[in-house]
Amino acid sequence: MRKFIAILLSLIAPALLAHEGHEGMTKSKAPELGASAAIDGKGRLWLVDAADGHVRLRHSDDFGRTLSAPVMVNATAEPIYAEGENRPKIAFGKQGELYVSWSQPRAKPWTGFVRFARSTDGGAHFSAPLTVHHDRAEITHRFDAMAVDGQGRIAMAWIDKRNLEAANAKGKPYLGAAIYTSVSSDAGISFAPEQKLADQSCECCRIAMARTPQGEIGAFFRAIYGDNIRDHAYAVLHADGRPNEAQRATFSEWHLAGCPHHGPGLAIASDGVRHAVWYEAKDKPTLWYGQLDPGHAPKHALAIAGPGASHADIAVNDRQVWVVWNQVGAHGYELMVRSSQDGGEHFDEARQIANTSGAVASPQLLLWQGRAFVAWNTAAGFRLIPTEAL
Amino acid sequence: MKRILFLLVLTLPVLAQAASPTALRAEDIATLLKPPSHGVRVLAIWALDCAYCESNLQALAKLQQAHPQQLELVTIATDSIDQREVIAKRLHAAGMDAWPARAYADATPERINYLIDPNWGGETPRTLIIRADGSHLGMSGELTPSKLKSIL
Repeated sequence: MRKFIAILLSLIAPALLAHEGHEGMTKSKAPELGASAAIDGKGRLWLVDAADGHVRLRHSDDFGRTLSAPVMVNATAEPIYAEGENRPKIAFGKQGELYVSWSQPRAKPWTGFVRFARSTDGGAHFSAPLTVHHDRAEITHRFDAMAVDGQGRIAMAWIDKRNLEAANAKGKPYLGAAIYTSVSSDAGISFAPEQKLADQSCECCRIAMARTPQGEIGAFFRAIYGDNIRDHAYAVLHADGRPNEAQRATFSEWHLAGCPHHGPGLAIASDGVRHAVWYEAKDKPTLWYGQLDPGHAPKHALAIAGPGASHADIAVNDRQVWVVWNQVGAHGYELMVRSSQDGGEHFDEARQIANTSGAVASPQLLLWQGRAFVAWNTAAGFRLIPTEAL
Repeated sequence: MKRILFLLVLTLPVLAQAASPTALRAEDIATLLKPPSHGVRVLAIWALDCAYCESNLQALAKLQQAHPQQLELVTIATDSIDQREVIAKRLHAAGMDAWPARAYADATPERINYLIDPNWGGETPRTLIIRADGSHLGMSGELTPSKLKSIL
């Protein structure tokens, strides 16, 4: 009889072990289209995305019509988040450096490390990737955002669950996650120990960053207020050691005990006006435009689009403002744009500038000599689309 | 001893039968949205990357067990059916093996979201309630006890 039980146990044990999580390592066969693009001062377009465990860098000298052969940013393959609100990022340093960041899934669900590599030879070679945060707990550090300030310092921000984990361990309530930031003052050779910017942020929404006229970095992110009110906060990441303070900047009052998977967009004009886009679904899904006035409701708030509209981006050049988004319907996606010629006081009607029946990533606005283009990574290939009406 | 053996034998099929999700394609949605002949059908939409979803599934499962005749429960993962093993593991770990499970099978998941409910922006968990009279009610986020009560 004991032998029978031993055999039965041996049958059960592998089944039990199979339920130990390694979800993060499982590769999805679905296309992962998360990508970022940037245009440098010479008009060269740079594109990063992920394939087979590598962040790939490609460039184009004909505004996206043809792309170069890829350079592998990380020589050794590793898991990479490259879908939804997570995508590899690219930014330029003051001396022509190329900076690339991404989030790396770890073994357990919802965990990740923020990774960074740099090239000082125009993208021909990259440094070995480093992990930006000093904390190495196997928890959430992901949804990385990156920007370079006026002094050339690299600001990184991400969603981090260390405070949630600490609260859980003590049996104390803690909604959401936290936003942590770190700065590199040596062109990406190293990053300073991270600092907490805000408690109780949303767990799954990208962080928007833009440079202020003073050369500091403004960060705009979805936070949690009260009982799961998913509004947004704005903070300036000061360069002079002053404490960073996040202030509530939207007042939509959307209550959600869940994951919106829908972060905001930010563009700061040379006059300091903080043009922003964000999503909420208190009554129905709505994409909003507004000018942030931290501590107060945004000015010139306008419902830019309704149901089916998602993942907006925003850009500003002097008095011109552009908002783009994905509009999904029964037959696929339309890439939509609305623009303003008077600094965001009025916007023209929505126009479709591209469409596809296949999968798409979030659109990204890029400026070049006063013109706005949209980087749109689709299952049919990468496209750079002008915003002008034909 | 015999009792232990009996219990172990009973346990075996449960372990072997983690609910493997079946594909949900665009053309399958009309059937899911069709009003049930009586009571309510609840579509419990969740995602692997959603820390609120498993407890919501469990709350709906408990409600279904309390009202087996009036409530039909279907779980739908917005993740690709290509991740069926991971989805099945997660459902099993949450004790959700007993309910029919679906997962998206479409290159454009946001289109499936739109076809299921055009007034849903993809946030999870999402609960869609379809009543015999043809009415639909969508609720986003983990359901509060009062919202759970309102289903029946």
